[in-house]
Amino acid sequence: MASSPCKRVVPCALLCTALCMAQSSRTHAQVKSPLAGQIAAIKAGQHRFQEGCAGCHGANAEGGRGPDLADNRTIKRMNAAKLFDTIRHGVPGTEMPPSSMPDENIWEVAAFIRSLNTAAFETPVEGDLGRGRAVFFGSGGCSNCHMIRGRGGFLGPDLTNIGFSSSIAQLRENILHPSNKRGGGFRSVTVVLKNDTRIEGIAKDNSNYSIQILDTHGHLHLLNKARLKEVVFAPKSPMPDTYGETLSPQDLQNLVAFLSRQVIRPQTERTAERSRREAN
Amino acid sequence: MRALGLLALFALYLSGQVRYSDISKSPTDNWLTYNGDYSGQRYSPLTQINRKTVADLVPKWTYHVRGARRLETTPLVFDGVMYITGSNEVDAIDASTGRKIWIYRNGLAGRHGLNRGVALLGNSVFFVSGDCHLVALQRSTGAFLWEKQFADASKGYYATLAPLALKDSVVVGVSGGESGMRGFVAAYSASTGKQLWRFYTIPAKGEPGSKTWDKLDTPYGGGPTWMTGTFDPELNMLYWMTGNPWPDYYGGARKGDDLYTDSVVALDAGTGKLRWYFQFTPHDTHDWDAESIPVLVDLEYQGKMRRLLLDANRNGFLYVLDRVTGKFLKANPFVQKLTWATGIDAQGRPIVNSDIDPTPGGRKVCPATRGATNWMSPSFSPETKLLYVPTLEQCDKYVGIQHNPPPMHRLDGGGAGPIPGEPGQFFLRALNPLTGKWRWQYAMVGPATMWSGTVSTAGGLVIFGNDEGQLVALDASTGRDLWHYNMGQTLTASPITFSVQGKQYVSIAAGMNIFTFGLFEPAVPFVPPTQLGY
Repeated sequence: MASSPCKRVVPCALLCTALCMAQSSRTHAQVKSPLAGQIAAIKAGQHRFQEGCAGCHGANAEGGRGPDLADNRTIKRMNAAKLFDTIRHGVPGTEMPPSSMPDENIWEVAAFIRSLNTAAFETPVEGDLGRGRAVFFGSGGCSNCHMIRGRGGFLGPDLTNIGFSSSIAQLRENILHPSNKRGGGFRSVTVVLKNDTRIEGIAKDNSNYSIQILDTHGHLHLLNKARLKEVVFAPKSPMPDTYGETLSPQDLQNLVAFLSRQVIRPQTERTAERSRREAN
Repeated sequence: MRALGLLALFALYLSGQVRYSDISKSPTDNWLTYNGDYSGQRYSPLTQINRKTVADLVPKWTYHVRGARRLETTPLVFDGVMYITGSNEVDAIDASTGRKIWIYRNGLAGRHGLNRGVALLGNSVFFVSGDCHLVALQRSTGAFLWEKQFADASKGYYATLAPLALKDSVVVGVSGGESGMRGFVAAYSASTGKQLWRFYTIPAKGEPGSKTWDKLDTPYGGGPTWMTGTFDPELNMLYWMTGNPWPDYYGGARKGDDLYTDSVVALDAGTGKLRWYFQFTPHDTHDWDAESIPVLVDLEYQGKMRRLLLDANRNGFLYVLDRVTGKFLKANPFVQKLTWATGIDAQGRPIVNSDIDPTPGGRKVCPATRGATNWMSPSFSPETKLLYVPTLEQCDKYVGIQHNPPPMHRLDGGGAGPIPGEPGQFFLRALNPLTGKWRWQYAMVGPATMWSGTVSTAGGLVIFGNDEGQLVALDASTGRDLWHYNMGQTLTASPITFSVQGKQYVSIAAGMNIFTFGLFEPAVPFVPPTQLGY
């Protein structure tokens, strides 16, 4: 095993943190992250994470032997100081070890993990929003299926609030590998009725006894399966999985930047509270 | 798929539209607006479920609203799809199976709470967030189109009502009468969200009505507008009810009538201008918001057909107004426990008894602060010409505390509650609208805590929730008890009825679920289709 302090992380390590950490809340409240939201720190943290933590938590913190850190409610609620302490001291009673990294490196790893759990629009991001918009509504063809504030197509999910509901990492993952996460009322399906009528569209819902399809003309078909002869789901997402090749790295980054700023309301009490928590 | 998307982009708007002309008609297969149609009658012409067949009414499906606690939504139905609301949430449901089609949740809203439903128009769904944003969604997909903030939640406003969609506008009102805000009704363009007009229920200094507030520094004084109004398309006139003056239970700082609180305001739907108003409870100190639905009916009155407005008011009187002019015609009590006034005079003003104001030690007054009725929907059957009203017989002990209120801060100025040993009792009363007398009544056994309304049908039924949590169907003519189903919880919403592919259903929200009933059909063995993938 390498000597990296994060290497021997175990399942449930970070999930146990809230209960296991002995530090007082007063201490936590007084500690601020010196690197919160800094792009360079997030990148450095990602590098250190992949060196020493990914063995248990997965290359992109998606979980493995250790828990998923990429979309983790406990970590979302954890303030920066608690996250730091968890990395520094490990989780007593589990295989999550303490770390001897300098404080700055721990803050970098914490900034990376935090970025995975922070709404995209609250995360600093590189890229040109205007060019990203041009990709979305133009060259990328995204708006053929996706809508933002009423503009665009309807067969894919509405992205008006995607900057709030996704992290930067999730945005990138969903663009590059759309078939890794399917469902949610957007699967391509073709059904044939007993009278041989064929309907093609998106399955908004599917149960043993009924299926609800939004066809390509925008008509909803509410179908009892007793009327159907055949139901065929496409094996992959209707969204192209070639954006990693068809978009240049810069266009991809611009698109991520543009999408990351799509929110219904840019600032609310709730998001302001989240920002305050991040700062402390 | 990209080609499919391009095709879809332009084709969506060809699908079925919710038309103003359809909302204007009596509900048929659909239920297109909060009260079924603009009149507020909540009368359905459907007859498949009727006096004879209702015995075969059975549960068809249940839809769970995740995280809900107390649904007050009235479902709307168009083309086989049902639209309901939770807290900052709209769900589109297959109305014959209860399967979800889409959900819109607004995790960014600054206030969570109850909501009473959506409005439909064209290919849009409208609802209000708890923190007073009017939100427009695409009806087919739930995609966000726009939202417009119509009031500032930090100033005591919040929102719960189902908006009212008119020809090309959407009308909203506000809650928050206990916080001394300034109530208003406002209309927004259905296509862009641009405000078209706003009518304040509390006049500014110098405006007509402002002198009815004495020392209170208007324009703050409550007058919320938290229930959906009714509308006469031919007159192009909106009828919107207003809530209590503020502070609710202390009137010392606002001596006078406190216009336009506890009133119905008739507004020009195109401009928002006040055509007329009628105040039910001048200078209210018992929190008797006039928020019961104003029901629009055309009836013979003194030998002439008249356009009437009926309101079974929280203050215990059933009012009959000429809805063209606002002229008061008559008012009769529809409860027996009524001590605050001996009657209503020829001009429509209450003949108020002395010693009815709340006191620091508490004073018994009837009806209770919840009112002789409240926001629970009444219904009117043109067949029986009866108005069906959930009615509460109860008195309360009212406590009032002297206070000079600062504007826009929560201050009730007192409170009210049941008197030990004098429990309230709910009745469903079938009222003669012109006399206030009930032809029959259904007495409820229960804790007097329900908030459920009614729907009446051409099948000769009136369907409602009772005080012990049962959905009940009575013969609308006689009150004969024909059917009931135990929902197992306090009911806080009103039922509707609709039809999909020739089958009539009855739906009601209860607790955290939507329940739907239809006539019994024997199950047949199900042969699934061939399925590839899942």
